[in-house]
Amino acid sequence: MGIDGEYRQLVTGNNERREAFRAGRRAILHSLPGAAAWGVISGVAMVKGGLPLPWAILMSLTVYAGSAQLAALPLIAAGAPLWVIVLTGLITNLRFVIYSAALRPYFADLSAGRRAALGFFMTDFTFALFMRHAQLGTLPDRNRDAWFAGVCSNNWITWQVCAMAGIVAGSRVPTEWGLEFTGTLALVALVGPALNARPVIVGAAVAALVALLVHDLPFRLGLFVAAIAGIAAASFMDIRLSREPPADAASTP
Amino acid sequence: MSGPVAGIGLAVVIVGLALTTFLTRTSFLLAGSRLRLNYRVEVALRYAPVCVLAAIIVPDVLLHGAAAFDFSPLNPRLLGVLAAGLWLSWSRNILGCLASGMLAYSLARVLL
Repeated sequence: MGIDGEYRQLVTGNNERREAFRAGRRAILHSLPGAAAWGVISGVAMVKGGLPLPWAILMSLTVYAGSAQLAALPLIAAGAPLWVIVLTGLITNLRFVIYSAALRPYFADLSAGRRAALGFFMTDFTFALFMRHAQLGTLPDRNRDAWFAGVCSNNWITWQVCAMAGIVAGSRVPTEWGLEFTGTLALVALVGPALNARPVIVGAAVAALVALLVHDLPFRLGLFVAAIAGIAAASFMDIRLSREPPADAASTP
Repeated sequence: MSGPVAGIGLAVVIVGLALTTFLTRTSFLLAGSRLRLNYRVEVALRYAPVCVLAAIIVPDVLLHGAAAFDFSPLNPRLLGVLAAGLWLSWSRNILGCLASGMLAYSLARVLL
């Protein structure tokens, strides 16, 4: 292949990547209103939760994980020990470990830098969209990383712009409106839809009950005792249920 | 309990949260293919977020800076969370969830 052929391949290769990137940006358009709403809510909750404006902006840009940020807010407001706040954020983020393991086969041949970049921009929304397209067989055959980068870039821009709008708007609303309560309500909105099966309902109930019982433990350690109790209860039930044959298996013709 | 985390402490928290978020998101993407996710571990990881969030929400709603739990049905925060939960049981629209929760909370604060 001469210089000309190599050059031509480079150009068509780049065009293909650009096309995959654009297709990714289009694929997420329908879930952008959801990302926008969550962005605004996190922004308002951060400033109303007591973060000074520059810190709220810094947190949004560097952490970019609404649930971990919302979970940290009540602990920051209560002056909990720093390691407790960071560990709580870590536990809230543990679901990303599962996502990351599920994505790896699709990106195994990329450089470490690209895998790290895709990981940084991966969220609940973008992961779910990627896996849905993978199952339907509607991912592009090549340049999947460019497609996912397109998905993630639109999600990131939307979320960040809306978070900034929420931060600025929230900082202008008087404290008497009680908007700091939106942080708690947003956590309820995260947990509510997740309570869709018996193990997770039992786990959440056990965690909540234990949290009330051991609330007096120093350094907010009760939070971790409660979380571990809930995780143990939910996992135990999940593993037991998955061993049993489904209840309606006998009646199915 | 002391005042809210501020200054250097807040910087440490933000750096810590950013790092742990990055590490969880890139964990298996960066790990070599020798590492595999154990079934039991995966089950536990799946339930961790909801459990820790439930353990944050419930004491926060009932206590919120006070010395004792406020189980009163007239607790505005409890009413707000109940209204938000009711909304969520028939719609996934989070803006409606927040609006109904804030409405119940504000009405309770003004009227009760």
